[in-house]
Amino acid sequence: MSWFAPVRPEARIAVLRSVLYVFVLLDMHVIVRDPIPLSHHTELYRPLDLAVLLHLPPPSLPLTWTLYAVLVVGCLVAAAGRAPRLAGWVVAAAFTWWVAIGFSYGKVDHDHLALVVALWLLPTVGAVPGGWSATRSSAQAGWVLKCVQIAVVATYFLSAVAKIRSGHWTLTSWPESYILMWAIVRRPHGLGQLLVPHPGVLHVMQWGSILAELSSVAVLWLRGRALLAAALFWMGFHVFTVALLYIHFAPTVVCWLAFAPLERLRPWWRARHPPLEPPVPVPPRPGSALVSR
Amino acid sequence: MTVPDVAEVRPAGRWSLAWRVLATLVLVVLLFNGSLRLEDKAWPFGPMSQYAFSPPADDTIAITRVYALLADGQRVEVPLRVETAGISRAEIEARIPSIERDPSLLRTVSDGWTARNPTGPRLTELFLVADRTHLLRGQVRSKDLVTLAEWRVTP
Repeated sequence: MSWFAPVRPEARIAVLRSVLYVFVLLDMHVIVRDPIPLSHHTELYRPLDLAVLLHLPPPSLPLTWTLYAVLVVGCLVAAAGRAPRLAGWVVAAAFTWWVAIGFSYGKVDHDHLALVVALWLLPTVGAVPGGWSATRSSAQAGWVLKCVQIAVVATYFLSAVAKIRSGHWTLTSWPESYILMWAIVRRPHGLGQLLVPHPGVLHVMQWGSILAELSSVAVLWLRGRALLAAALFWMGFHVFTVALLYIHFAPTVVCWLAFAPLERLRPWWRARHPPLEPPVPVPPRPGSALVSR
Repeated sequence: MTVPDVAEVRPAGRWSLAWRVLATLVLVVLLFNGSLRLEDKAWPFGPMSQYAFSPPADDTIAITRVYALLADGQRVEVPLRVETAGISRAEIEARIPSIERDPSLLRTVSDGWTARNPTGPRLTELFLVADRTHLLRGQVRSKDLVTLAEWRVTP
């Protein structure tokens, strides 16, 4: 039981909430930024299973603009730590719908899994008295963090599973294929251009990638420096894919914060920026006098 | 000597923990089920399918482009990005068979472009083109362009 819901500081949830709700605002303007323009093109819309199951109406301009407004207001309220359950679930539902619309025109990305999981689960912790400075810990907080961690790791591990599945359940077909060559030719922006004449190097990178994805599950049991090393490795991996192909996976990257001791942020800041002490009046010494000039 | 803070721990009942463990297991099962059996349209419980396929050494790699004939006679590429055409390349690529059957679906691009360039020259004709790179034993051998669909822009 305690592995699924370890007791963790609630301040970590408060910080994670602030960061993720601000990130959602960024995401809807920079990453999944097309639901409003796409809603002009009903002829290209193909609903996801989720939209069919929930009988969601097809996207339209009034609908997507409403979602936009709800998300902006909801994120600002939730990032401020107000009405954490109501605002949190409104943002979760609206953002899931927003992203689902963005993914209903043929291209589905899998970089949003951990973020969507985090948005649905963060409200379950409820109010965190003290916010970023909260001193209370709870299994409720630990469970949310654990689920977000599982979703982050699943993004890697299950992408390896999907690659093995696509190769008729053989491990070698994907890393021995020309997938990176394919990706670089189609996204001829980054450093990948330099590697086109060297398919052998690309194969080594593909092997490294799938082996790292398969072993990513171990991250769930790492602690301390080993966890830090794993986190730095994956951050490096994402920096590398940006340099190679301009593929960033930012929504997954930001969810790595669920592994970080975010509760130390406020004490760390306080120690470096101590509050100004109020002036203490000095009692006058007998026989001395302050002379004003 | 300072007295260490006694950390306050919020109580959690047995039922409260039980449903959380159960929910975690359901999440993991749904995610595995998606990657093992389902397709993209099952998002967020679908497979992590980006780049999950295996192009062969002699593959043909296609980039989808849209070219336009302007009213002033120029032939230009309409960049398939939300900022320029109101729709991105991936969405057009996903609908290539539909556009080949019904080229008037390219109206999506012309409307998006015109809305963002109201003062520019009018688009008169659109061409959906595959910009192909042919590999031979894993090396780039040649490139060509193939027109997949064309549509005379109607008001």
